[in-house]
Amino acid sequence: MKLKFIISFIIILSSGQFSLAQTIKGFVYELNASQEKTPLPGANVYWEGTTLGTATDKNGAFTLKNDGAKNHLLVVSYVGYLNDTLHVHGNKSIEVILQGSKTLEEFEVLERAPGAHISRNDPIFTQQITMGELKRAACCNLSESFETNASVDVNYSDAITGAKQIKLLGLAGKYSQMQTENIPNLRGLASSYGLSYIPGSWMESIQVSKGTSSVKNGYESVTGQINVEYKKPENQEMLFLNLYVNQIGRVEGNVNSSIRVSPRWNTAVFGHISNQAAKFDHNHDGFIDDPMFTQVNLFNRWNYYSEAMEGMFGVKYLNEDRQGGQMGYYNNKEPGSEDFYGTRIRTNRLEAFSKTGFFLNRPESSIGWINSYIYHDLNSFFGLNTYDAIQHNFYSNLMLQTWIRSTAHTITTGISYNLDHFDETLNDSAFVRTEHTPGIFAEYSWVVPEKFTLLLGLRGDYNSLFGFFITPRLHLKYNFTPKLVARVSAGRGSRSAGVIAENLSLLTTSRYFIFTEKLKMEHAWNYGINLTQYVDILGRELSISAEYYRTEFTSQVIIDKEQNLDQIRVYNLDGPSYANTWQVEMRYELIRRMDVTLAFRYNDVKMTIDEQLQREPLVNRYKGLVTASYATNLRKWQFDVTAQFNGPSRIPSTAMFPEQYRMASESPFYTVLNAQVTKFYKKWEFYLGGENLTNYKQNHPIIASEDPFGPHFDASNIWGPVSGIKVYLGVRFLLKHDRL
Amino acid sequence: MMMMITLMISGPVFSQDKKKNYEEVQIKTSAVCGMCEERIEGNIAYERGVKKVELDDKTKIVTIGYDPRRTAPDKLRKAISKLGYDADDVEADQAAHDKLPQCCQKGNEPH
Repeated sequence: MKLKFIISFIIILSSGQFSLAQTIKGFVYELNASQEKTPLPGANVYWEGTTLGTATDKNGAFTLKNDGAKNHLLVVSYVGYLNDTLHVHGNKSIEVILQGSKTLEEFEVLERAPGAHISRNDPIFTQQITMGELKRAACCNLSESFETNASVDVNYSDAITGAKQIKLLGLAGKYSQMQTENIPNLRGLASSYGLSYIPGSWMESIQVSKGTSSVKNGYESVTGQINVEYKKPENQEMLFLNLYVNQIGRVEGNVNSSIRVSPRWNTAVFGHISNQAAKFDHNHDGFIDDPMFTQVNLFNRWNYYSEAMEGMFGVKYLNEDRQGGQMGYYNNKEPGSEDFYGTRIRTNRLEAFSKTGFFLNRPESSIGWINSYIYHDLNSFFGLNTYDAIQHNFYSNLMLQTWIRSTAHTITTGISYNLDHFDETLNDSAFVRTEHTPGIFAEYSWVVPEKFTLLLGLRGDYNSLFGFFITPRLHLKYNFTPKLVARVSAGRGSRSAGVIAENLSLLTTSRYFIFTEKLKMEHAWNYGINLTQYVDILGRELSISAEYYRTEFTSQVIIDKEQNLDQIRVYNLDGPSYANTWQVEMRYELIRRMDVTLAFRYNDVKMTIDEQLQREPLVNRYKGLVTASYATNLRKWQFDVTAQFNGPSRIPSTAMFPEQYRMASESPFYTVLNAQVTKFYKKWEFYLGGENLTNYKQNHPIIASEDPFGPHFDASNIWGPVSGIKVYLGVRFLLKHDRL
Repeated sequence: MMMMITLMISGPVFSQDKKKNYEEVQIKTSAVCGMCEERIEGNIAYERGVKKVELDDKTKIVTIGYDPRRTAPDKLRKAISKLGYDADDVEADQAAHDKLPQCCQKGNEPH
């Protein structure tokens, strides 16, 4: 048996050698400003759907074998140019003239590449999570989309309401900028539950970039940026249906549809409804493990294209009602009564956006204008705490992109304006806050093809509460060889903290907020280096990346629940606060059609809490990830397995609590295992999966759960899963347009 | 004897080719571009009984591996025709052909 295996292995190994080797030769050109044909060095030339490729030399010439070419489509690409795909036969020499992209970078429609990958051209280290990758974990919304991603952690922030938070580079999600289609989103009141506002089947792709990002999108990204691209009307299905159900009674339905209204106008409608009505208490602490909720989410978008301009417009509405607490809470005579502990969060949210781009007569030059308005109305109570809030956000960004001397040197400059108006009432205290932040920015980029990219950005913003501040950013990408790429980034990020909205989970405690001083704006520097090496092994490419990032706060708002038993003290950082993360990640197609990812990250996150430099609570000291995805021939079946390894984290001190309420000082190591099987038909897809298959749960997630109105109650010390194994089943129906 | 050797060598890898439930057919199509290839491969893969689809873009011949108990070459030709392409002597379904993207329609030179 073993011998047989070895023989077949050898046959597989050598099978590549038997195909007839042919060599394609050719030249790649661009048209310069006076429309003359000039060689384009450093363009990528590769076989579609493979990693077999090369780059053009200084004369624009290339030679490429067609060993292993899946189909005979040769792709020629270069940043800022439209990709060209050629059908290439035999050995003949070819000539390609790349057309300058008329598309604004902000409007770039992303190609669907298989699985997750690291963008090679982007000077900022960016991981793409594509639709294929999103399908590997079918449930349910943005918060579950990072299960197969080693950089982003997602954790519950309390054991009652289902609030979730991401962590990037070891720091809370508020320090990474969330965007939808390059518009800042999920800020302020959406901080605690916003990850559930974007249904999985609406998303086309997600870009995760680490370190500070481009100044074009503002000053807020400190640890990174997460951008979600919704499906586009022009290339999505005519009709898409998705139905999902799990064993604890969560039900979800999605309907997407797109229509070509005219050659220039396309529209799409997205509908989502989800519900969890059943309540379970598997850990017998008297509290419902998973909150009950109903969400209705609607989105309509319109895209317009013409020779001179393009535009995108959209309106989104969300209504959510989520409830949690003690099993008997429904019997309460009135909300917020002391019969049973209960929480209820009701949300109404309206978003509207427009993005317009105008192409100028000069090549590669355009004007882009983004506008967005968000209204968020939140009504909630958490036991005896009541919190009602309204947020208005208006954002406008007008930018000009052009080049100096040659298209290798581009300049983007513009002005932006952000308005945030908060009207919050926590119990009997009212907080009203209005922030106007006009800003001006410029970014210079210099590209030496396939060798080096420099991105230099600077912006100045004036915040009506905190004054003027600057945001410098630097990104550098250098290719030592075509297979070894180094990226360096450095920059500053700033944000104004919305303490209560960002920490709603702390209302599920018997503590009260104390603001000991006037809070400052948060400022931090972030530096990072990333090395990515591509190695060809057995005709397939192994990618290994190693990185180090450091974030250093010069000003930070500290949320301290360790100084005093019944308080949450909020004050400005006085002392050091930093986060170091080291990460290595490997991806390889281990056997045909089986992609494997291995990753490991070490976090060293410390901050000065109560005048002492301490490990930041609830940050895993290390994290590991193993994923494997296997598709059968013709991709009729797909199997996915993901294991997440969570190292110990520091639990906020419970030393002041009576003995029976104390928790360990560190959480234990634990593993979460997810798996999924998908069966594909022409128009139907069925999936069956399980989350947390080892059924790992944090014991006693709620402190003093039997005395919820007593002085020790705390549901926010969460380091692990609250609910156990979840098994789900779903079906998708896809009806494509004829033109696709 | 030769047969046996062949069987032994190819056994571990290609054994399924030799079973009774697997046959291959080659069908000449009117595919012109990579998009056609995607269409034909992507759609025929989900036809009943199909186990392998490979379109050679030079010869425009698609090789289909199938289970003869569940389908037949004629059915496969018909399925290709319904996608808008000629399949051997079965002409492309006109309505389907006219709906194809410009680059996939007959008469376009391979590009």
